[in-house]
Amino acid sequence: MPDWTPVALLRDLPPLVVMPVTVDGVDLALWRSASGRIAAWADRCPHRGMRLSHGFVRGEALSCIYHGWSYAQSGQCQRIPAHPDLEPPEAIRVPVHHATEAGGVIWVALDTVTTAPPALAGVQPLRSVTLDARFDPASAGLTESGGAWRGTLGGVAVAVLVQPLPDNRCALHVLAESKASPTDLVAASRGIETLRRQAEGVSA
Amino acid sequence: MTDPIRDEWYPVALVSQLGPEGRDTRLLGEPVRVAWQDGAIIVTSGGHTLPSQQRYGHVWACPGTPARPLFDIPEADQPGRRLVDVGLVRVKCSPLRAVENFLDIAHFPFVHTDILGAEPHTEVGKYDVAIREEVDEVWATKVHFYQPQAAKSAAGGITTEYMYRVPAPTVSILYKTCPPRPGEWDVITLFVQPLDEELCEVWPWMALFDDDTPMTDLIHFQQTIFLQDRSILENQLPHRLPLDPGMEIPTRADLTSIAYRRWLKRRGYTYGAQLVAA
Repeated sequence: MPDWTPVALLRDLPPLVVMPVTVDGVDLALWRSASGRIAAWADRCPHRGMRLSHGFVRGEALSCIYHGWSYAQSGQCQRIPAHPDLEPPEAIRVPVHHATEAGGVIWVALDTVTTAPPALAGVQPLRSVTLDARFDPASAGLTESGGAWRGTLGGVAVAVLVQPLPDNRCALHVLAESKASPTDLVAASRGIETLRRQAEGVSA
Repeated sequence: MTDPIRDEWYPVALVSQLGPEGRDTRLLGEPVRVAWQDGAIIVTSGGHTLPSQQRYGHVWACPGTPARPLFDIPEADQPGRRLVDVGLVRVKCSPLRAVENFLDIAHFPFVHTDILGAEPHTEVGKYDVAIREEVDEVWATKVHFYQPQAAKSAAGGITTEYMYRVPAPTVSILYKTCPPRPGEWDVITLFVQPLDEELCEVWPWMALFDDDTPMTDLIHFQQTIFLQDRSILENQLPHRLPLDPGMEIPTRADLTSIAYRRWLKRRGYTYGAQLVAA
């Protein structure tokens, strides 16, 4: 099992946004603070079990949408709006996982990290797509190199990162060669769509 | 032998909306049919006729042997009230989670923003909670909360007083300050029909002092509120209500929920609940 799982392109998670992601079958709330810090937490508020990925970000804290309990970067509850004068007990804490950004990609590790995520040189983020199917990179003509699957889509050189998802689904995070023109990027993007249809067994 | 789950009364239809075709539905995981027969409404399941009655706008049925009469809402017969059949909202959640959410006020500013609550008015003051042994019901009283628009008939923000009552495991009754009639309480109920342990149909019903608001607006107001609640209820983990402490951490504002969970456990009502793995 690799230490790091690619979960999103950085551009799809602007500051003050939270989104759900899944790593090794574990549901996480991935969020970015006002200052740009990225965090991946258990997707569950310890109070009443509400998914934190439905919550909201203010400043450097993530709040649950149900009762507005807000959590600091450490995962520690810092405010309970129903009792504004109460200092929340230390036991109220959301499990925090590792999250980092490298080369325009957000990577998450559930447990101890021994390596850095792959540094992908010479590429720019293009788009992420979810496949309602398993994905076999080799059958799509891709070969593994430097922590990513390399090949061409729509005639453009690409690097593809695969994020396995439950129920035989997966997400692909695709980067295109840096020198690709806007026209090339459109072609590569169409190539991704074709690849998705093929993997899902949908006729083009 | 008595079964604390099967021996309760559950709502299965609205009398006013039961057409000649009847209603095929589910109760505690079993198929149930509500139908007209010779001018009366009967409820059947698996070839048997279930004990049933009509009250508070709804048809009530008991899959087992009724342990006690249907709870009483004296206000339902008080002259001058408008009785509002709101209809149903299907929610993919435990019936007990639906009731517990109804008992909660701290979520108003965040889930019912600018209607039942608004920041910065988030504080929940001290209130009283008791399990009233003589009637075996959970009661919360002296609950106060600031509300931007407490009811369809309210103009502007007011501090509303509430009382909550749980007379049966899947029923909650809310008494709330009545803007046009100080001294009286508006009655808003949540009748929950457990289809199975993680799926329910919620039947809100109201008995209000409000002669002005069109019926459609009253119904839309409640439906707006319940659809907002649904976005929460379908995203709580675990899906079943944890009855043992440890899985979820309550605070002072949750005293009603704590009493409700304790009362359910004591009564052996575990349908839709999660107990600590044995």
